[in-house]
Amino acid sequence: MIETPFDRKRGERGRVTRDTIIAYIFMLPMLVVKVLFTFWPIVFGTALAFATVNIGKGFSLEWVGLKNFEELFGFGEFAGRGPDRDFWYGLTNSLKYILVVPFIQLLSIGLAMLVNRTIPLIGLFRTAFYVPVVTSFSVVGLMWQWMYNQYGPINFILTSLGLMDAKNPTNILNNPVLALWAIMFVTLWKGLGYYMVLYLAGLQSIDRSLEEAAVIDGANRWQVFWHITIPGLRPTILVCSLLSTISAIKVFEEIFTMTSGGPAGSTYTAMYFIYNKSFGDYRFGYAAAAGLVVAVVSIFFAFINFRLTRGDQNA
Amino acid sequence: MLSSVDQAKELKRKRQFNKRLENLGVYTILILVAILSIYPFLWTLRTSLSTSGGIFEFPPSLIPNEASLKNFITVTEIVPILRQALNSLIICFFGVVGAIIVAALGAYPLAKMKFFGRDMIFYALIATLVLPNEAGLIVNFITVSRLNLLASEVGQFAAVILPAFGSVANVFLMRQAYLGIPAELLEASRIDGASELRIWWSIMLPLTMPTIAAVSILQFVAFWNSFLWAFIVMRDRNLYPLSAGMLDLSGAFATNTRAISAGAVIMMIPILIVFLFFQRYFMRGLEGAVKG
Repeated sequence: MIETPFDRKRGERGRVTRDTIIAYIFMLPMLVVKVLFTFWPIVFGTALAFATVNIGKGFSLEWVGLKNFEELFGFGEFAGRGPDRDFWYGLTNSLKYILVVPFIQLLSIGLAMLVNRTIPLIGLFRTAFYVPVVTSFSVVGLMWQWMYNQYGPINFILTSLGLMDAKNPTNILNNPVLALWAIMFVTLWKGLGYYMVLYLAGLQSIDRSLEEAAVIDGANRWQVFWHITIPGLRPTILVCSLLSTISAIKVFEEIFTMTSGGPAGSTYTAMYFIYNKSFGDYRFGYAAAAGLVVAVVSIFFAFINFRLTRGDQNA
Repeated sequence: MLSSVDQAKELKRKRQFNKRLENLGVYTILILVAILSIYPFLWTLRTSLSTSGGIFEFPPSLIPNEASLKNFITVTEIVPILRQALNSLIICFFGVVGAIIVAALGAYPLAKMKFFGRDMIFYALIATLVLPNEAGLIVNFITVSRLNLLASEVGQFAAVILPAFGSVANVFLMRQAYLGIPAELLEASRIDGASELRIWWSIMLPLTMPTIAAVSILQFVAFWNSFLWAFIVMRDRNLYPLSAGMLDLSGAFATNTRAISAGAVIMMIPILIVFLFFQRYFMRGLEGAVKG
């Protein structure tokens, strides 16, 4: 039988239809899980912000319009009470936490450049730097509580340096001024190896002949770093600083395992507020509204981050 | 007066000296950072082995006092830590196998088939990476409650495991692996009349084994370490994985630092073994996940 163009077209279309059915059978488990546990939380989580959830009655929703936001911002029905101070205080701490981002990024770039050389034992060092990354915060939190203990190793260093009274050392995690900074240091400690690996991959993707050419042309190390390494790393810097900014705003696990928001609420963050309101007070709608505000703030900072790290395109 | 050969030698010696000086500097920094990274672990190990003397000493020592495994026995007496280790293994096993099946099946059509809606699904997956999901824990809690998963033991395990199957990184890693397989191989099998499922199972899957290994390691570490979701969802404390059990242990027996540190060591050993043995796969997976 001679195959006509018409037949071929019909055959092609039949094949696409058949493939479409097979493709969706393959993707069925993925789609079910994605819809249920990723798309639905985004849609329903947004809807929850405009409702009150009755836990006792099978999580039934009662629509309350903007009431949750009025309570957060302190207007409308809640004008007399003012904004929810816990929330704004927590959000301030979350924003303060962004200060960890430049430190973590600069140090991990430096560390990546140090380990990006073929010298003996370098693999061992890379492994050592990565061990904190694969350790759960449930253990990291405990270990650093011990490190920061009144008579622990950190205080030993501080008193040796004369930075703390040796007769009466205090636990830094019990100090309302220092606790948040102490936890930021733990975030830095745990994150350094993670970003180091990503920057190492970035460094190794830079064309070496560019550096060599620059050196032959008489460029010094600083010039090579500034004009070749940094521009070559720009995509990695963009991704890494974005990741670390967003996780700084959403910081929770290190606080949960070390100070539970204390002392005197000094390490209370926005995500801690959301956790407390949802699984402490069971006010799911109110917590979802706070979540939406945090999401908007995250998007704003992600945008700023993008503008800062993108660099000047015309230069 | 130096000959030019001597001058060259002198220059070379100078350069070598500078190189050595630089390496000395590099090693000094590397050793300092390595000490900082590892010290808390050594301290914990030391405390878990010590049975006498002060826990906190000035100056801090890393040599255990009267070393024995007594603390490890104590910790099994105060919390059901062996049961929790078993729970962790159950969660990791079913979690890893399930995540692999979901990602390996789901990524195949995205990489190797033409079908209606492919681009839409691909962009929807990317969108989930950037869309805000701050209320995720709340909604997932409502979902697993409504699915009536929290009523039974098996259900509670399922509730802990299922939400993690949605990882986009796994799907992207698998898709990259499939994309690396030459199209000719696929076309030849299709012309031979092999079914798509057969092609996937006997040709595609074996060729993606390195990526499957990377995804498995990443997922194992993620399941072993995550504690918050299990802590929220599980009604029955006997079902806690080790990671969530650590919170319980440190809360209820806060004063028994030696027993807690023994628990922490038990929690860390498997992850360190897995990491040290499969480091190569782990790093590759991590880099691939971010690039994808």
